[in-house]
Amino acid sequence: MEHNIIIDNPELNVYLAALDSSNSGIIITDNRLSDNPIIYCNKTFENISGYSRDEIIGHNCRFLQGKDKSQTERYEIKNAIISGENSKTVIRNYKKNGDLFWNELNISPVRNAHNEITHFIGVQNDITKNKKLINELENERESVNIKIAERTKALQENDNFLRGIIQTVREGLLVLDAEYRIVSANNHFLRTFKVEYNDTIGKILFEIGNGQWNIPALKKLLIQILPTNNPVIDFEVEHDFPHIGKKIMLLNAHRIEFDNEYSDRILIAIEDITERRDIENRKDDFLSVASHELKTPLTTIKGITQLLQRSRHKTIDEKFFDNLDKLSNSVDRLNNLISELLDTSKIQSGYLRSNKKSVIINDIIKEAIEQLHPTMSKHRIEYNSNKDYSVCADDLQIQQVLINLISNAAKYSPDSDLIEITSDKVGNFIKVSIKDFGMGINSDDQEKIFKRFYRSTEIEKKFSGLGIGLYISSEIIKNHDGTIWVDSQDTIGSTFNFTLPIYEQSIT
Amino acid sequence: MTEKIIICDDSQEILDLIKIVLEEEKDFYVETEIDSTKLISRIKTEKPDLLLLDLWMPKMSGKELLHLIRNDEKLSLLKIIVISASMDGEDVSTRLKADDFISKPFDINELIKKIRTLLER
Repeated sequence: MEHNIIIDNPELNVYLAALDSSNSGIIITDNRLSDNPIIYCNKTFENISGYSRDEIIGHNCRFLQGKDKSQTERYEIKNAIISGENSKTVIRNYKKNGDLFWNELNISPVRNAHNEITHFIGVQNDITKNKKLINELENERESVNIKIAERTKALQENDNFLRGIIQTVREGLLVLDAEYRIVSANNHFLRTFKVEYNDTIGKILFEIGNGQWNIPALKKLLIQILPTNNPVIDFEVEHDFPHIGKKIMLLNAHRIEFDNEYSDRILIAIEDITERRDIENRKDDFLSVASHELKTPLTTIKGITQLLQRSRHKTIDEKFFDNLDKLSNSVDRLNNLISELLDTSKIQSGYLRSNKKSVIINDIIKEAIEQLHPTMSKHRIEYNSNKDYSVCADDLQIQQVLINLISNAAKYSPDSDLIEITSDKVGNFIKVSIKDFGMGINSDDQEKIFKRFYRSTEIEKKFSGLGIGLYISSEIIKNHDGTIWVDSQDTIGSTFNFTLPIYEQSIT
Repeated sequence: MTEKIIICDDSQEILDLIKIVLEEEKDFYVETEIDSTKLISRIKTEKPDLLLLDLWMPKMSGKELLHLIRNDEKLSLLKIIVISASMDGEDVSTRLKADDFISKPFDINELIKKIRTLLER
């Protein structure tokens, strides 16, 4: 079928050719004929609709709507035609093959000299692709929204989880800003200090609760955190809090880090250790009472043993006195064990107090040797005393260290008969060394022997003991600002060394 | 010359032991007191040359007794050796108020040595 309208009018042919080359589908209807039929359509309209010009001409435009006749846009078009106005609508239309296409339809009336509407011109654009793109965009937006919602939910869950942890922990937690204003506080904090949320949040820490947190030492530490990043670790506060009374609190505070960067937020964890301290104190009291009670009968046993030892008489069998000596040694050992247990307990709770004063180290060493003399049946102790140096020390505690080290030297060198003691000035310290020629200590054990209750397996097989003597000695030396260590070689012997700072006024 | 010594301890076995040990020495006359609250009046009437005092006693502690004795014009110069099973910092300070100190369990020879040294002063 011939598509081109052949009109013998060159000017009109140019116009028709122009219409055919338009990207929009164009139709003209004749309003003067019944049912306003299409009298012209261009090529693009044929392409859009899939119908040929012959199938179109004479029909009303409504054929494009197929069965989909309930669209409100139809009435808009109808109204525009009746009232003779321009209209622009987007309407669902159907191609010849039944495929839907979105038609962007512009209708304009054509009037004659009498202002009668003679024709309508319909310009149509298939915007299905645009519509599809818009739909895709909308779908995309929708799925993004869903993803955001899921992420938000996950974050919320995470947040709830963290919040749950923060609210459940048995430690008061506070977050402060750079002005020490409380940004958040967990339930445990509010409960412990019997304060209301509203009286706490947004308030400066040092001002809340009548300044109950205005503790100078704490303030000093907290003020340093942001500029220096130095955390506050295990800071103990004993304070009489208004609502809850006297409490011992352990504080830890540090600057909060986000993605490896410090923020201007401080997290403070507050632990109430009042009860723990109380239990520790009761344990210490119990141990004190127990050791006191144990020592009373021990005193009697030791005293009576000594009384019997004094009554040496030719008529009494020598074996009797050998047994008395053994009894006496056991009493001393039992006494040492009780003292060591008590000392360990005191060290553990940080109550090992030293009564330091200026003392001459030579005197302490000589006194320790003298005290040990009766118990040393085999070993000779050689001490080359140095110049009289004064150290700032608790003489009884240092003596205890020496007795422990010398007794160990004897105990672990059963096949030798010599223990050498030296003391030397090393810088501002006095170094005391106790050397034995015994079994030695392997390098693995050398580091561990100063730990509480540590006993090397080798030693465990051969010798009895609790493994706390060296621990106590090392704690005492540490408490005196000195160091303690061992130099040892397997089978050749061990040298235990410790240092003590020289009493300053005695340095010449 | 016989020297009079009073021992104050809440344990009868300790009192008995020290009494036996010291009376073997011939030149010591020993009295004992188990009730710390009666000690002050006994010192006042019996005027001992030396007091052996336990620290840890019920009713009245050795620490309180030391304080009372040292602050009493008539008793303040009494020679005192403290005997205790514990050697805490607190005891050390108490020890400074006493003339000497010996810890339980003690060596009886050391106890006698300390008593003699103090009596000779």
